[in-house]
Amino acid sequence: MSDKSEACPSAAPANGRRRFLLGASALPAIAGAGLTLAGAPAHAALKTSAHIVIAGSGLGGLAIAARLSRGLDGAKITVIDRKEIHNYQPGYTLVATGIWPVDKVSDRNVDLMPAGVEWVREMVAEFDPVANAVVTDSGRRIEYDYLVVATGLHLDYAQIEGMDVAAIGSNGLGSVYPGPAAAEATWHAMDSFRRKGGSALMTLPATPLKCAGAPLKMTFMVVDRLKQAGTRGASNIAFHSALDNIFSVPRINDEVLRRWAELDIPVTFNSKLVAVDIGARRATVANPEGERREIGYDFIHVVPPMRAPDAVMNSPLPWQQGGFAAGGWLEVDPGTLRHRRFPNVFGLGDINGTGKGKTAATIKKSAPLVAQNLIDVIAGREPSQHFDGYTSCPLLIREGSALLVEFDYDNRLTPSLPMIDPLQDSYFAWIMKYRLLKPAYMAVLKGRV
Amino acid sequence: MYEIWLTLNILFELGLQYLPEVIGTALLWAMLMLFAATRPGVGWRQGLVPAIAVGAIVTVISFLVTPGMTKSSFANMGYWVDWMNLFFYAAAFGAVAAALAWPIAASMYRTA
Ligand SMILES: Cc1cc2nc3c(=O)[nH]c(=O)nc-3n(C[C@H](O)[C@H](O)[C@H](O)COP(=O)(O)OP(=O)(O)OC[C@H]3O[C@@H](n4cnc5c(N)ncnc54)[C@H](O)[C@@H]3O)c2cc1C
Repeated sequence: MSDKSEACPSAAPANGRRRFLLGASALPAIAGAGLTLAGAPAHAALKTSAHIVIAGSGLGGLAIAARLSRGLDGAKITVIDRKEIHNYQPGYTLVATGIWPVDKVSDRNVDLMPAGVEWVREMVAEFDPVANAVVTDSGRRIEYDYLVVATGLHLDYAQIEGMDVAAIGSNGLGSVYPGPAAAEATWHAMDSFRRKGGSALMTLPATPLKCAGAPLKMTFMVVDRLKQAGTRGASNIAFHSALDNIFSVPRINDEVLRRWAELDIPVTFNSKLVAVDIGARRATVANPEGERREIGYDFIHVVPPMRAPDAVMNSPLPWQQGGFAAGGWLEVDPGTLRHRRFPNVFGLGDINGTGKGKTAATIKKSAPLVAQNLIDVIAGREPSQHFDGYTSCPLLIREGSALLVEFDYDNRLTPSLPMIDPLQDSYFAWIMKYRLLKPAYMAVLKGRV
Repeated sequence: MYEIWLTLNILFELGLQYLPEVIGTALLWAMLMLFAATRPGVGWRQGLVPAIAVGAIVTVISFLVTPGMTKSSFANMGYWVDWMNLFFYAAAFGAVAAALAWPIAASMYRTA
């Protein structure tokens, strides 16, 4: 049920008039309120014969490929990734909570690959940054002058004993992360749970997460769906966090906990999901001392631990020490996103071992910056751009309302526009998530914003 | 400056999502304009008032129905930014309606 294995669903047979009205309705919202992230000033293309290899063709890989193919004249750009279907991952939470149909999140990668870029439909099996080469899983060796690592991350469900990704959707098992089919199956599980109500167990692992807001959104939405079905009174929802918080930004953490206290969602800290018996609907959680406890549930949302993909993890590229070493995260300088030991290597997106920044919004701001820094390095200059760790997440709090949370490495709240109140329940934030983020994502992917 | 560029890009991508509808509306408007422009004595000035009235009515209706059409409701209007957005949404529909109504109204005010 991975992104790679899922077929592209057929085009949406949506009602044309309604679609148009909904689409057009977005226009003035943007004109009125605007959005912001880093700009990409136009420069004359730099002449070079450099060969740049990009590992990964997700949002990061495609965005940097588009930018480099415009910013460099004469360079050879090779993208390596077997993936044929591009999935709009921020849409998964909308699918998994019954807001969007699943066919809105998938596109064909071939339609998104920038012109003039060589696409090698294989996976990198080995990174050899000492020899400036990668080896693909077919054994092909590809040498490069510069490398951009944009492989995303690995969902490590294997760390949860008894977990079976193929079983998502059955027996009250939900998990929004693996791909569109899992998101849709999660909605089916949530939908049947809300009809009768019961006990919901929501989880959070201890590792860095892509869209760390997603487990919180799922929790808010379970409550909302139960309320809509009239079964909230007959239900209880418990959140188990493997950490001593639920979100790394203290102000957001406190705000969400305050709201959950009002919604009667108790949180157990330092309680990690370690096993699940899917058929019996029983989960096992463990505290840092290793004491295990079994909990019965009617619906569970499993959030897997996350780490770097094997090819990166088993290479010389990860951090060698410190908090990011265990997950095999890429050792980049948080400001320039250039590798700290291999100066011709840059990292972009979820793979980076940085304090924040595993969101599409992060790529929106950092892709132009990495492109410019790489162009600087090719031109023999030092990287000129500095990344502040911008991360953003429209936090769904119920159907029709969200919080637009934006922050940086230093946990400062950094609203794109001063008028946006990050802690305010907002229709505007909802519209961002519901209708405007995908168009913005597509513009990022094409390297235009 | 960047916000404007970003907004234009989002509009462009939205337009791509709804391309048949966008093209259809643009074609309809062009045809109406052409029809009106080729008729003698068309009252462009007089047509403005009813066109604006149509635009205003559509703005009001859009204002009322847009939250529901976007899976939300008036209860979710949290602060002035939300109301401002909703107003601009509605006004955009109103502007499109006024643009379509103008050549029709102008043709109806023919003096020749
Ligand atoms: C449920 C969910 C909700 C989210 N919500 C939001 C949100 O609201 N807002 C937001 O901004 N972000 C959100 N995100 C996060 C956002 O989608 C990701 O941060 C973003 O897509 C990461 O892009 P990437 O290019 O780094 O990785 P990906 O898009 O995952 O792409 C990585 C690519 O690398 C390829 N790859 C992996 N290993 C190799 C290899 N060895 N060789 C070659 N290629 C390889 C993969 O096949 C894949 O195509 C959400 C994510 C999820 C899952």
